[in-house]
Amino acid sequence: MKAPQRALLLVGSPKPSESSSESLGVYLLEELEKRGVATQTLHVTKAVRNEESVEELRAAATSADLIVLSFPLYVDSLPAPTVRALEVLTERPVGPAAFVAICQSGFPEVDHNEVAIEICRNFAHDAGVEWAGGLILAAGGMIGGQPLRKLQGRMRSAIKSLDLTAEALAAGSPVPEEAVRLMAKPPIPKFGYRFMANWGWRSQFKKRGQGSSLKDQPYA
Amino acid sequence: MNADPTGAALLMDGRRDDDPTLALAHDALVDGLAAGGWAVDDWTLRDDKIAWCAGCFKCWTQTPGVCAHHDGGGKVAERWVPSDLIVLLTPVTFGGYSSELKKALDHVIPILQPFMQKRHGETRHPQRYERRRDLLVVGTVPSGQARGPEAATFRRLVERNTRNMQPPRWAVGVLETGASDWEVRAAVGSLLAEVGASPARDAVNAVRSEVVA
Repeated sequence: MKAPQRALLLVGSPKPSESSSESLGVYLLEELEKRGVATQTLHVTKAVRNEESVEELRAAATSADLIVLSFPLYVDSLPAPTVRALEVLTERPVGPAAFVAICQSGFPEVDHNEVAIEICRNFAHDAGVEWAGGLILAAGGMIGGQPLRKLQGRMRSAIKSLDLTAEALAAGSPVPEEAVRLMAKPPIPKFGYRFMANWGWRSQFKKRGQGSSLKDQPYA
Repeated sequence: MNADPTGAALLMDGRRDDDPTLALAHDALVDGLAAGGWAVDDWTLRDDKIAWCAGCFKCWTQTPGVCAHHDGGGKVAERWVPSDLIVLLTPVTFGGYSSELKKALDHVIPILQPFMQKRHGETRHPQRYERRRDLLVVGTVPSGQARGPEAATFRRLVERNTRNMQPPRWAVGVLETGASDWEVRAAVGSLLAEVGASPARDAVNAVRSEVVA
């Protein structure tokens, strides 16, 4: 791959705000900007809304020489609007560009996300763009949709991973192995994450829950 | 468990266009299920307006088990839960499901509870309901690619799904576009037999072809 001049971030989260996928992608793009790369960001839910927005998506992808897709894991793979955006990008040639995927999930193990990254690599092949690597973040709930720069302590491995990734991509190299390893490092022990998550669900239900229990079976 | 090949089958048809092989597979599935005595809920997803799942988790924390939005997404759990067999039909899309099928599948999370538990070395969400559904997934790839990388990814994806959905029985098949009606029917019959949905298991296994890898 060559050193990019224009990078496009596709935010694959359907959430309208407080998206952890967006936090990760935005941080990477800011680091690329610092290294002289022009950037643009599109949210896939808006990009696939109608014919006009789809054309904007195609134009943005065609003018970029680096495409970064950052998305949450939905049912073991990519969210539906993200799949739709990728379908659109294979309907007509978009390259030449390099393609990087970042997948985060609420599970504390990275294994859950591996098939999703494989799907992204297959997309790159089908779209004729160059696969430049994938990063997996487990325990994405630790970000909670906040800007990554506010979480320097808690997310230091992920930040270091994205710093290394930005440096490599800006120089025309793929995502380094060390960046993959750092991103995969759990921010906290898995049992602690599960405990916090379960406490969080109960707490949210106490505040706003309308049923009798988190275990309600409305269709039984 | 479906010891007798009768019950309620939900067929979620994720075709994006009129691909002839998927059309053959659809008809073979409907015919095979009907022959096995199943009541089939045949759901062509592209005909239905189902909003993207917003990932708000209100179906876990505010209205447990029910999608909190009135945008079509709630129909998925409502039709999924009372079924005994789930059948997914899709063009294999980069090794995954089509956006049409995925727009519905993203809405299945209300069938799980939000809690996180360690199970077989990985974190899982417990099932909300005791009832389990068998799972049959049929995808199509271009001719000559049934053993290619996207078909392999597709099988891994379905296997991943089964870890979360915990079907008692499941099967996945990859058909190549351009397969004949006979080949598709033989392959679909074999897959239905794998999940106990067809009474003719031995017969269809005997005519197993190269179409399904």
